[in-house]
Amino acid sequence: MLVPSSWLRQLVSVQADDNELADALTLVGLEVEAVEPAYPWLVNSQVARISRVETLDEQKHISLCTVETKDGEVKVVCGAPNVKEGMLTAYVPPGTEMPDGKEVKEATIYGKESSGMLASECELLLEGDASGIFDVSLRFPDAKIGQSIGEITGIEDTVFEIGITPNRPDCLSILGVAREAAAIFDSKVKPPEIELDDSQPLEGVEISIEDPDLCTRYVGAAIEGVEVAPSPGWLARRLLACGVRPINNIVDVTNYVLLELGQPLHAFDLDTLAGPAIVVRQARKGEKITTLDGKERELLEGMLLICDKDRPVAVAGVMGGFDTEVTEKTRNVLIESAWFAPSSIRRTAKALKLPTEASYRFERGVDPLIQKKAALRACQLILELAGGTFSGVKDENPVPFKPVKVTYRPERINRLLGTTIPAAEMAKILKALEFSVEEIDQETFQAVPPSFRADIKAEEDILEEVARCHGFAKIPTASPVATLIVQRPESFRPFMDSVRKHLTSQGMSEIISYSFIGPKELAALNLPEGDERSKAVRLMNPLAEDQSIMRTTLVPCMLSTISRNIRRRNLSLSIFELGAVFIDRGEGVIPAEYQRCCLSMTGKRFPESWAWPDKEVDFFDLKGVIENLLSLLNCNKASFTPSSLCESFYEDGTQLDIHVGDGLIGTVGQVKQEVAKSFNIPQKVFLADLSLENLSRASSSQKRFVPLDRFPSVERDLAIILDDSVRAQDVLAFIEKSGIEELVCFYIFDVYRGKQVPKGKKSLGIHFVYRSKDRTLSEEDVERLHSPLQESILSEFKGSLRS
Amino acid sequence: MEDRLRSIEGEALEAIEKAQDKEAIEGLKVRYLGRKGVLTSILKGLGTLPKEERPKIGKLANQVKVKIEKAIKERLKALEKSAGPRLIKGFDPTLPGRALPLGHSHPITQILDEVCSVFEKLGFSAAQGPEIELDFYNFEALNIPPDHPARDMQDTFYVDNKVLLRTHTSPIQIRTMEQMRPPIRIIAPGKVYRCDSDITHTPMFHQVEGLMVDENVSFAHLKGILTHFAQEIFHRDTKVRFRPSFFPFTEPSAEIDIQCVMCRGEGCRVCSHTGWLEVLGAGLVHPAVFRHVGIDPEKYSGFAFGLGIERIAMLKYGINDIRLFYDNDMRFLSQF
Repeated sequence: MLVPSSWLRQLVSVQADDNELADALTLVGLEVEAVEPAYPWLVNSQVARISRVETLDEQKHISLCTVETKDGEVKVVCGAPNVKEGMLTAYVPPGTEMPDGKEVKEATIYGKESSGMLASECELLLEGDASGIFDVSLRFPDAKIGQSIGEITGIEDTVFEIGITPNRPDCLSILGVAREAAAIFDSKVKPPEIELDDSQPLEGVEISIEDPDLCTRYVGAAIEGVEVAPSPGWLARRLLACGVRPINNIVDVTNYVLLELGQPLHAFDLDTLAGPAIVVRQARKGEKITTLDGKERELLEGMLLICDKDRPVAVAGVMGGFDTEVTEKTRNVLIESAWFAPSSIRRTAKALKLPTEASYRFERGVDPLIQKKAALRACQLILELAGGTFSGVKDENPVPFKPVKVTYRPERINRLLGTTIPAAEMAKILKALEFSVEEIDQETFQAVPPSFRADIKAEEDILEEVARCHGFAKIPTASPVATLIVQRPESFRPFMDSVRKHLTSQGMSEIISYSFIGPKELAALNLPEGDERSKAVRLMNPLAEDQSIMRTTLVPCMLSTISRNIRRRNLSLSIFELGAVFIDRGEGVIPAEYQRCCLSMTGKRFPESWAWPDKEVDFFDLKGVIENLLSLLNCNKASFTPSSLCESFYEDGTQLDIHVGDGLIGTVGQVKQEVAKSFNIPQKVFLADLSLENLSRASSSQKRFVPLDRFPSVERDLAIILDDSVRAQDVLAFIEKSGIEELVCFYIFDVYRGKQVPKGKKSLGIHFVYRSKDRTLSEEDVERLHSPLQESILSEFKGSLRS
Repeated sequence: MEDRLRSIEGEALEAIEKAQDKEAIEGLKVRYLGRKGVLTSILKGLGTLPKEERPKIGKLANQVKVKIEKAIKERLKALEKSAGPRLIKGFDPTLPGRALPLGHSHPITQILDEVCSVFEKLGFSAAQGPEIELDFYNFEALNIPPDHPARDMQDTFYVDNKVLLRTHTSPIQIRTMEQMRPPIRIIAPGKVYRCDSDITHTPMFHQVEGLMVDENVSFAHLKGILTHFAQEIFHRDTKVRFRPSFFPFTEPSAEIDIQCVMCRGEGCRVCSHTGWLEVLGAGLVHPAVFRHVGIDPEKYSGFAFGLGIERIAMLKYGINDIRLFYDNDMRFLSQF
């Protein structure tokens, strides 16, 4: 809501300056978001002297003027007939938005560069001449170069930009804001005086309300013999300061009253109404109307309409009809001032996608007692500005307003606020807000809010009024005395935190991507038919197609992130994401939500530096990170097994399934080249996708200490040549199964394929550590253990010793 | 003889003072003090002197020797000092260290942790709720009935008529109160969604919700806890302002501003020249919300608050474009 200071001060007298007023309003809940000049074009334009005139086109009066401004000389091409050397005029610099909404720009006219414009009084929305540029010295002989036009004309004002919360529709008007100011500064509002005879009945126009629930009141007032013309400068300027574009004196008056009193009005050309009659009813199936903006709109059954004898003439509370609007030819006007049910107007405006100043106020609720005053106020202004005679007012009010009564307990209010505000002080606050207050007994009071405060329904609403007007700053700041709480709600966060910590400690960085993706990205994974992850939740109103479904897997997010980074030459990435995926479970039901962890590595293993070998990451870098993660999470009996049912997005044969005990934790593999390609990734990408729920179940907090060995160990190396198809894991598992108590540790220290071994074979180097718990092993002891083991490995895997 | 010693002394000391490197000093050392050095030969030749001169000359020669030795030592030290640190062939310790690549948690995560930990220290425990929610939890149970203009405050992504992407973390209040009885103290971080996208809005962002319900919880307590929070997160001396606002699920509702962290309240572009930055929304839990979850508003009271993490992160780190958070450019992530 834009509120010009001068207009506000017309309705309430307040000593405070604009900044103090803005602060005070903010602190009672009307947040002043900005304090700006009301007429920026008058602030920007300045008095300037034309020092030279060079004619460019005599017939069209086009000339190139050299203009002396406060900031030096500028050249402006001007088409006004009255330019002359030595003249003081109004210069508008480029970048200024003019009242008609157009921005003044640097331009080349007649081959000459023109910087800004010389403006007429009319263009500046000043009362005066439109035939030529502003001859400043004629009206302001003392004006000096560089003074702003606002300053010399005295037409200066500030406008407050106020954020009005949805509970305070009463403040969507200058009057409403004035009431708050009056309450703060202990002043009184001065509503505009209405001199018209409100008892003069309107003859000859039938008004019938078929739906009194949706329209509790309809006031019609008519004026005959108006002359439609542009509004005077003061009115046009005020509307503009409030963000409303002036149209003509009749329409402008309805908008002026809307802004002033908060009551939306509509002006019909009375002669275009069949009957003339007004019927308020719901739309029937298939009805249409062309609205003011020239668009034909299909109406849905149940939308509230204003009709004449034959047809709809307005969408009630939203927008008037094209056929019945006020035009230059209009002579007789009917002003509508009504109260419509908020939810009905809201539904209609939403369905038609047609939010207007009127619907905005109706759907929040207007004062049910202001309709007649607003209609008469409008009529009075029209008479002043457009002439004509007042032909009377008709007030149909089938459902009269009933005020609510709210009881409140000052003691409870103080307890909830932590204050000790006396009951008398509370009553004073409420009375300043135009409530009536009555003491019922010592503990209980009754308050009746004014008609414009439909938001006040219960004690808590009274509490809020007391709190905000007393001042939040005056409420003490205290520490609560709190009960210890042992019971804890469920939360997955601590586990996610530990996973994150274990991954960042291994040099992986966390990403967070949008939970929505595009169907294209999901399709790029080539998931098989029937895969659960194809059941994505679709948004009804996505911002864009590539954000239209909720992710069912983190993989596309990961690949998109890698792609984006590679495009920006961040070629080496070790990243992970922790986040939810969603699987559709049908309409009206919350989808299944799973927490997952996706990890990926690509590019170089180490930063480019003298200190590191220049190596690409491979599968085992990522596998190692996961092994560490499982170990840090204390997942006992984790195993990686080659998968026979491969994910569609991994290269065949690269995928391992990660199990802990019987539970599948996730998978790790190399991303299929064609999948990477569809994300525009030209390099190898390794990826793992884990279920955090399963990981959390597999993780244990138990740790057992293993006593440290006291006796020396004996070590053996074994190099065997095996068929390339033999898997290392099987060899290790075989050794493990041998169950030799003294074999405390064994690991693969070398894998070799190449010249020194036959084709199709590989050499595996295995290191063995033997140690006894209770004695020093002799060479013979070890030989007795190691030889049979070595033999059995060779025979099990059909290997031979590498010589 | 005496004169000779004196002149040796003067000559040696001068030469030592002039020597520019270790080698030169070594040379001088050999020349004067070495086995065949000048002084040594004098000392050796003491026997050829008349008996009565021997002690005197001997003493003097020794004094000169000590003086020269001392001068050499001092000169060596001075030379060492001016020559700078020692160089070892093939070892340049000034090469950059072999630093392992670091992992970074996302800046949003870091701020979330910081925010939650302030409350966890006060005995608030973490709670959670689904990101795709029922209209009931996101709106109705929070006192926002259908067709209420307050729904305009939050542009909602809908899945169908009943299901939506939660627009705030407040539904977690309801879900928690359905499951727990007072006293309740929770802190609930999470992702939220609104159809809005520009330099200050992303369609997905993070909020933290807090709730405290007990007997006799008052607005003064809300002020106490949230002032403490703002001062923990920003600066101990941060000025905090509570200003009336509106949320359907709290009454009275407040917005909490901190003194602008950029201009310290002088007024700048970041704070739109107001000197204040809005960082929190809060209020006393509306009795209608309590009634929805079967808590007696006559017996219990409470306060709830919510804050946007991106905004705090932007203020703390001086980030000017919110979209950077979800762009996940490594050059951005590795700064935190």
